[in-house]
Amino acid sequence: MGAKNTRIKPSGPLQDEQGIILDSIADGVFTVDQDWRITSFNRAAENITGVSRDEAIGQLCKDVLKADICERNCCLRATMKSGKPIVNKKVNIIDAGGRKLPISISTALLRDKKGKLLGAVETFRDISVEEDLRKAILSKYSFEDIISKNHRMLQLFDILPDVASGGSTVLIEGESGTGKELVARAIHHLSLRKKQPFIAVNCGALPDTLLESELFGYKAGAFTDAKKDKPGRFQLAAGGTLFLDEIGDISPAMQVKLLRVLQEKTYEPLGSSHSIEHNVRVIAATNKTLEELVRQGRFREDLYYRINVFRISLPPLRKRMEDLPLLVEHFIGQFNLLQKKDIEGISAEAMSLLMAYSWPGNIRELANVIERAFILCKSREIEKRHLPDSLSADPSTCAPQKAHSLRDVEAAYLLDALKQNNWNRPKTARMLGMHKSTLYRRIKALGLSRPD
Amino acid sequence: MKLALSVFKDCISTVFDSAEQLIIVETDGTANSRKTAHKLFAADPIKRATELKTLGVEVLICGAISRPMQSSIRSQGIAVHPFVRGAVEDVLSAYQNNRLALPVFSLPGCRGKADGCYRKQSRIRGQAPGARCRWRS
Repeated sequence: MGAKNTRIKPSGPLQDEQGIILDSIADGVFTVDQDWRITSFNRAAENITGVSRDEAIGQLCKDVLKADICERNCCLRATMKSGKPIVNKKVNIIDAGGRKLPISISTALLRDKKGKLLGAVETFRDISVEEDLRKAILSKYSFEDIISKNHRMLQLFDILPDVASGGSTVLIEGESGTGKELVARAIHHLSLRKKQPFIAVNCGALPDTLLESELFGYKAGAFTDAKKDKPGRFQLAAGGTLFLDEIGDISPAMQVKLLRVLQEKTYEPLGSSHSIEHNVRVIAATNKTLEELVRQGRFREDLYYRINVFRISLPPLRKRMEDLPLLVEHFIGQFNLLQKKDIEGISAEAMSLLMAYSWPGNIRELANVIERAFILCKSREIEKRHLPDSLSADPSTCAPQKAHSLRDVEAAYLLDALKQNNWNRPKTARMLGMHKSTLYRRIKALGLSRPD
Repeated sequence: MKLALSVFKDCISTVFDSAEQLIIVETDGTANSRKTAHKLFAADPIKRATELKTLGVEVLICGAISRPMQSSIRSQGIAVHPFVRGAVEDVLSAYQNNRLALPVFSLPGCRGKADGCYRKQSRIRGQAPGARCRWRS
């Protein structure tokens, strides 16, 4: 590094030429010397910051840019220290009018012809339009508390209001962690019952006798220690919605009782000789395929048809990987609020790792992975090192698939590369060192398609 | 009276919205004053304004501040001197001597404007114009 007080000393004609070039650029550009004082400031920079060139020149860059990172995570300082440029980092500035603007900044070192360090250059772009657009798109992909751009989920968003207003029993099928309760809650909130209670019961977690007393309640004296009446979940959900999770796990005896309750719209609390009428909408959910259980004789056919009035099947996360970046962003925002942190996003390398994982635990597992990363992450971006080792050790991401031919090997290799880049084909082509049209041709020839 | 300055090291923090440290200067109307440091926790404008109110702040001197943040703080009856820069001691002295409007204490883009960057010197409720500038009453 040169003398501390080195200033950029542009010569006359070159400065004019440089000035014209800089002013014709749509991005804001300024240069600083080694004391962080601004030495040039183009027209776009004036427009974005609301600070005139005359006022900006000679000032500390932090006082002119007024960005939220200036004091603790200055990009120019990082570039000056490491010598490495920073590209497209999203930060917020406050312009002279008090408007908070999201901008994307890039930094690089500035050297003279002999390679002597003069200072650094920062370019920045107002991305408020992109940010507004991004928010608009995100709202398009959100429905109640569900986030997805998967075509099956978008179809579900379209029909959910009709399903909700119908009042029929709904069966939600999906692997554990796919958001079955979230969908059930969405149906409840969209229905006329929204002001009444939503009660959830995990049928798989309770033994038969306990489940019966939980659902239907009991009368005083029904059994030892039953000293007073206890209302069941059906009574608590009066006028509202009862969500019966893991319905596929209930015993045959309980299936009979539940069938009667659903058919006759009445139930009997334990120890009572009187039936009570109920006005409860039942939404059942299972992580098993009920049709298969019926075939195996483990689930009553009549109960299956009684609850299967409208069936919603939720795809697992591995079949809606296009949602992963949206979900990651959602969870980062959520944990930022809950834990009062300011993590901005996730590095490309970490995202590639998430994209390559098979997510057997689905969205719940993803939420846990992000929550864990929040504990470890002290920077503004979640890095690969903040993610659990199990993601890298996932056999589906590491072990080569058994291939039968050279074509299979090529297909598996390309598919893996595409997954790593979130099906961004130009990026994948760059990574593989091939022309993008070659990649397109190979994708077509091998019949590869993006998972839905 | 309680005066708060948002600070980073020994200077006024450049952006109040992301500032984490506050120095509160309490004066009893005489030359005596007591300084205490506080950490700001809330980032949301309404919560941050409530945090200042809870600390009993009546006047805030800060760097660049977004409009929603400034509105929230003013709605709590707190007077705001925004877009201020400089060393804490210099700024404090300038405030006490009614010299805070000098260009040297204004962030670039705000100089030459009578009230700094959209600076409306809101009065503390119940005080006459100019009274806010009198540090020792």
